[in-house]
Amino acid sequence: MKVIIIDPDEARAALVAEGLADVRPLEVRRASSFEAIEGELPSFAPDVIVIACDSPDRDTLESLREASSENPRPVVMFVDRSTPGLAEAAVEAGVAAYVVDGLSAGRVRSVLEVAMSRFELMQKLRTDLDKAKADLASRKSVERAKGLLMKERGIDEDQAYSLLRKLAMDTGRPIGAVANDLLTFAGVLKGDGS
Amino acid sequence: MSLERTQLRLGFIALNDCAPLVVAREKGFFESEGLSVDLSREASWANIRDKVAMGALDGAHMLAPMPLAVRLGICGEPARMIAPMSLNLNGSAITVSTALADAMRAAEPQGMQLRPRTARPLATVIAARKAQGLPPLTFAVVFPFSVHNYELRYWLAEAGVDPDRDLRIVVTPPARMTARLAAGDIDGFCVGAPWNAQAVADGHGEIMVYAAELWGVGPDKVFGVTESFAERHPLTLGATLRALIGAAAWADEPGNRGELAAILAHHRYVDAPEEVVARSLTGAPPYALGEPGPDDQDYIIYHRYAASFPWRSHAVWFLTQMLRWGQIGPEADIAGTAEAVYRPDLFRAAAAELGAPAPLVDEKVEGLHASAWTLDEATAPIPMAPDLFFDGGRFDAAQPERYAAGFAIGRLRS
Repeated sequence: MKVIIIDPDEARAALVAEGLADVRPLEVRRASSFEAIEGELPSFAPDVIVIACDSPDRDTLESLREASSENPRPVVMFVDRSTPGLAEAAVEAGVAAYVVDGLSAGRVRSVLEVAMSRFELMQKLRTDLDKAKADLASRKSVERAKGLLMKERGIDEDQAYSLLRKLAMDTGRPIGAVANDLLTFAGVLKGDGS
Repeated sequence: MSLERTQLRLGFIALNDCAPLVVAREKGFFESEGLSVDLSREASWANIRDKVAMGALDGAHMLAPMPLAVRLGICGEPARMIAPMSLNLNGSAITVSTALADAMRAAEPQGMQLRPRTARPLATVIAARKAQGLPPLTFAVVFPFSVHNYELRYWLAEAGVDPDRDLRIVVTPPARMTARLAAGDIDGFCVGAPWNAQAVADGHGEIMVYAAELWGVGPDKVFGVTESFAERHPLTLGATLRALIGAAAWADEPGNRGELAAILAHHRYVDAPEEVVARSLTGAPPYALGEPGPDDQDYIIYHRYAASFPWRSHAVWFLTQMLRWGQIGPEADIAGTAEAVYRPDLFRAAAAELGAPAPLVDEKVEGLHASAWTLDEATAPIPMAPDLFFDGGRFDAAQPERYAAGFAIGRLRS
């Protein structure tokens, strides 16, 4: 089976390609845009084109069906009408597949399912990464706020941390946010936050 | 009575004609109807279509022919979409590269003086290229089911150019048109504002003709929802339409067009320079560098001349163009499709609640009025604009098949 993956997010496209490794026989090509791969279409003759919904190339790809009456290039349908809910799930996951007529529905489904699960995996990886970054930033703020309190109030590290935690509990906000506020206000008082 | 839903998610594409949605949100029209609306900028018309069909969006800014094509099953998964309101009239234009414009001027200097400009100079260039064995020119439109596709084809065919045999028509997203023109990938395009003005400002393109010059007041975009959304949320839809009607009226006030440009230019919406966005709002954009357009606020119309009314005759006109270019065959149910998709009844109900005038007829003959006129078949008389086609054509929705067959160039299916 020949699959083209068009995704402006190259890391995600690579992840989808990797997930398809179990499909045999298989030939995968990926591109960040339709323009980048347009020239290869006639010779490669894909069975399925998987495209990310956030690619602006969906409209271009769809128009190929229009042109197909004069240009006998194999062209495409939006997912599989016989599987209820598949199209909804695909759109929800942010992926669309255009399938060349004649390919069995089951094979299309397996490609699309791989793409969908990989899109979701990528989403989770990104969310986890964002969270890790936020956690790290918050820890740094807490450390700096502790240092500030220790210096200004002449207390030790444990006492400084307890004070921050109490402020967080009293205001019902995360400790990182309280630490940030403290640092900002301290900056303003010193005259460098204006 | 309380609304079935107060939170809505509506989609749009980055174009000046999404203004009623953006204004309804930014100027508080949704809010005063008790609606909290999330506007989602979408990457493609196909995304808009699929997300609305599947409920990921509650409604959207749509190309007017799109809900018709979706209902006919020729554009993605068949779905029962409706258009209870039009978002604008006019606003698009046909632009060619400066190199092609120069070639057209060299071929037919007199034809290039004419306004509205026909495609005859282009026809001459195309014939010369053919004689020299050069490859066909490439023009881009935004979607196969768009007023832009039909407008470009109408203009070309009027001058004897067969859009399928004499050149290549490709699809390119609106925001990418100017870059592809600059790169030489395409020789011309038909797209909505502000992208024609952008090509002129960049020095890569010249506007040949405005939509408003081809057809005095031609339909362009609609607000689309699914029939099931409308049936399950009649009060919410009514509130949405009232907000959009109010926003469209605001957007058409000459005194508001400057502020509208500032709002639309924002990176969340059209994401283009404010002065470029303004050029298609405070008047018509320049045809070329140093060749200003007329000081005409009718370049794009949101509200005046019953612009928000979903005329069934507009739906039928689009269907005749689908027939003409072979997108549908004679088996298609023209009147039934227009009636199912375009819903003037829903518009009238919303307008009545606002006390805004609305037409009492569903259809009008196009190409009939050379000067301003008054629509008396309305809840209050509505001033209307001239509605001539540049080729002198006349369109009566009562005879769609005859109209579609009445053109010298077309791909009618038998």
